[in-house]
Amino acid sequence: MAENLAKFCAGCGYPITLMMLNKTLEKLDLQKRAVLGLDIGCALLAWNFLPINTFQTHHGRVAPTMMGFKRARNNSICFALVGDGGAYAIGLQSLIHAAKRDEPITVIVANNTVYGMTGGQTAPTTLCGQVTPTSPKGNIEEPFHGPEMLKGVIKDGAFLARTAVNEPKQLQEFLQKAIETQQAGHFSLVEVLSFCPTNWKTNGVDTINKLNGLKDIFELGIL
Amino acid sequence: MILKILLAGDGGQGIQTIAEIICRAAFQKNWHVSYIPNYGLEQRGGVSLSFIQISDKVIGYSKFTTPDILLIMSEQARARVKNYESGIMNYDVKDYAQKLEEQKIGKSSYNIFFLGLLVKYLEEKNVLKKEEVYELLEKKLGKKLNWEENKSIFQTCTL
Amino acid sequence: MEGSLKIIMLEKEKQFLTGHEIVIKACLDAEADVMYGYPITPTCEILSGWSNIGKQYLQTEDEIAAGFAVCGAVLAGKKAFTASAGPGHILLQDAFSMAEAMRLPFVMVIGQRGGPSSGTVIYSQQEVTLACYGGNGEGYRLVYSPSNAKELYELTRQAFNDAWHYRFPAVLLTDGYLLKTKSVFNLAEITKMVNIPAHALVPEDKVVHWPNIYTLEEELNEEINETKKDFSAISEEISKAESYKTDGIEYLVIAHGIVGAVAKMAVDELREKNIKVGLFRPITLRPFSKKQLDDLFVKNNIKNVVVVESSFGQLARIVRDELAPEIDATFTYIQKPGLGIEVEEIVEFMKKLKI
Repeated sequence: MAENLAKFCAGCGYPITLMMLNKTLEKLDLQKRAVLGLDIGCALLAWNFLPINTFQTHHGRVAPTMMGFKRARNNSICFALVGDGGAYAIGLQSLIHAAKRDEPITVIVANNTVYGMTGGQTAPTTLCGQVTPTSPKGNIEEPFHGPEMLKGVIKDGAFLARTAVNEPKQLQEFLQKAIETQQAGHFSLVEVLSFCPTNWKTNGVDTINKLNGLKDIFELGIL
Repeated sequence: MILKILLAGDGGQGIQTIAEIICRAAFQKNWHVSYIPNYGLEQRGGVSLSFIQISDKVIGYSKFTTPDILLIMSEQARARVKNYESGIMNYDVKDYAQKLEEQKIGKSSYNIFFLGLLVKYLEEKNVLKKEEVYELLEKKLGKKLNWEENKSIFQTCTL
Repeated sequence: MEGSLKIIMLEKEKQFLTGHEIVIKACLDAEADVMYGYPITPTCEILSGWSNIGKQYLQTEDEIAAGFAVCGAVLAGKKAFTASAGPGHILLQDAFSMAEAMRLPFVMVIGQRGGPSSGTVIYSQQEVTLACYGGNGEGYRLVYSPSNAKELYELTRQAFNDAWHYRFPAVLLTDGYLLKTKSVFNLAEITKMVNIPAHALVPEDKVVHWPNIYTLEEELNEEINETKKDFSAISEEISKAESYKTDGIEYLVIAHGIVGAVAKMAVDELREKNIKVGLFRPITLRPFSKKQLDDLFVKNNIKNVVVVESSFGQLARIVRDELAPEIDATFTYIQKPGLGIEVEEIVEFMKKLKI
C-alpha cells in the first residue's frame, strides 16, 4: 500500500483550501458523504490529506469522473479539485460540458497562474508578460477567466465564484454556498486564487503581494 | 578506474548543486562522467539523490546500487538509501554533528562542507584538483549572500 | 537564453549534456521547424529548452492539440515534432494514428515513465506496445530505441530522415533515465548525417482531396495493403539491431534501450567467466530486424533466450511474434516493470540458468 512520500511545498495554497473545505464539511456534518476527486497536478498530493474518501484521476479528467460518480451515487457530495491547467487547458472541454449539463458537482480550481508540479510552465491563467519556462520572453496571451466564461453556459441555480486563499471568511462562505448548490441539484465552481512561492520564486512578503496583485486581474466575488 | 558517488539529502539542501560542480570539474579534466538526479513528485521537500560516476572509460549505465562514496545529509535520505550498500568512503551528517557545531556551520552550508570533504578525497585519488572545483564553486555561488562563509568552509575542508 | 542551451547552439566538440539537451540538439541539427507540446514529466525540459533557443514552438492546451498541430505543420511541409510520455503518449496516439493512415512524417520523442495511468514520473520500458502498436491501426510506424547518449542523438536525426523519406510516422522511444542523465557528448564521435528535406504534402501548385475515412471496406483494405507493401519494402533497409558477441553462443540475451546497454556490460562479464552468451539488441523495434535474429538461431545452438526488460513482457511479445515459427526456442525472462535493471542482476540470473 503506497505511503504518501510526497508533500505540498512550504507556502502552498492547497493545504489552506483543503482545510477550509474540511472545516466547512464538518460544520455541515457532511464529511461522511463527501468524496474528493483529484486532478493530476499538485492537487494529487491531497490524496490522503483529509479524512474523507479521496482518489486521484487523470489530468483534465476530474470533472467527468466526478460527474460519473455523482450520477452513480446521488447522495454523495462530490468535489473535483483541480489546478488552473487541469481546469482551463486540458480539462476545459469537459468542464464546459459539465457546466452546460448543470452536473451537480462542485469544482474547486486552485489558480496560481502556472503549472506547478512540472516546474512552472505557462498556464491559461498566466498573466500577459509573465515569464515562465515556456514563455521565456514573457507570455504573449491574456489570462483566461474561467468562471466568467462559464457564465455563458450555466443554468439558473448554478453557482460560480472566485475567492483567494488569504480571504478565509469568503472562502468558507463560497465553499458552503457551493455545497448547498450541489445539494439543490446544480453545478458549482469556486476558483481560489492560490500562491506557489516555489515556482513564483518569491519570499514570504512578495508571495502575499503577488497574490493580492492577482485580485486586480481576477475579480473576487460571486459571478 | 570507475568511481561511483551517491549523494543523498533532502530537496533544498543543495545536493544537486554540489553534484553539478563535481561533475563539471571531472568533465573539465577529460574524465568520462555520468550524472543522474533522482527526486520524487513534488517540487520541494522529499529526498534528492545524485548518482555520479567518474571513469576513464565510457560509462554504460547511469544508475548503480553499490556506491564507492556515499554521502547522507538527512534522516529522510538515510531511510531512502538503506538498501544501498555503503561505500569505501561514507559521509553521514550525524557523524559530523559535533564538528559542524564547533565550526559554526549553518544548515544551508552543510552541502559546501561535505563538498569540501569529498573534493579532498577526490584530490587524494588524483581525480580532481581542489582549485578547479573552487573556481566552479565561485562561479556558481560567488554572488550569493553567504559566499564568504561558504568560501571559508570549502577552503577549511580541503586543507 | 539558459547557459547550457547556449552551449548546444555552439559547435563545441565535447560537451556535458543531459539527454533532453541532446534531443534538442538533434532536432535542431535535423532542421526541425517547430515543436508543439504540453508539459509532462520527464519531457518538460525538451519543450522549455526548445522554447528558449528562438525556434518556433507552441505550448498547446493538451497533447491532443499538440499532436494535431504537428500533423497540420507536416501537411504544410514543415518539419514538426512533439515530446511526451505516459498519459500524454496515450493522447498522442489519436493524432499519431491519423499520421499512420495519411502517411505523415510525424516525429515524436517519448520518455517512458512508469505506467499504467500516472504510474511514476521516472522510468520504465512500458510504452513499447503503445509506441509500436498504439492507435487503431496495424502499427505501420517507425520506432527507435536508443541505448546511450550517442544513439539518442543519432536515432533522433534518423527518425526525421526516415519519416520524411519514407512517409511513416516515427517514435524516438527513450525513457526518463536516459533523458535525465548528463554525460559527455562528443561531436567528433557522432556519425555525420545529411538531412532529408521536408516537402509540402498539401501542394501549393495543385489541389489534393485527401480522406482518412472510406465508404467501402474494400477501399480501406486496399489502402492498408498498399501501406503494408511500402513498410515491408523498407523494412530490411531501415531495421537495425546489434548482435554483440554472438559467435558460438549457447545463450542469447535480448534487451533494448538502456537495458540493452546494461545487458552488454553483463555479457562482457559473463564471457569472462566463460559463459557462452551473446546479446541481440534491437535498435529499431518497428520494423524489427527479424532476419538478423533468425540468423542467430541458424548459426548457433541456442539453449535459452533471456529477454530482459523493465516491463512485463512488452519486448518479449514482439520478439516471440517476430521469430520465425519454425525456430524452436526456450524463453526465460527478467521482467521488472518500472524499475531499472543492474548488471549484477543479469549476471546472477545467467549464472543460475547455466547450472
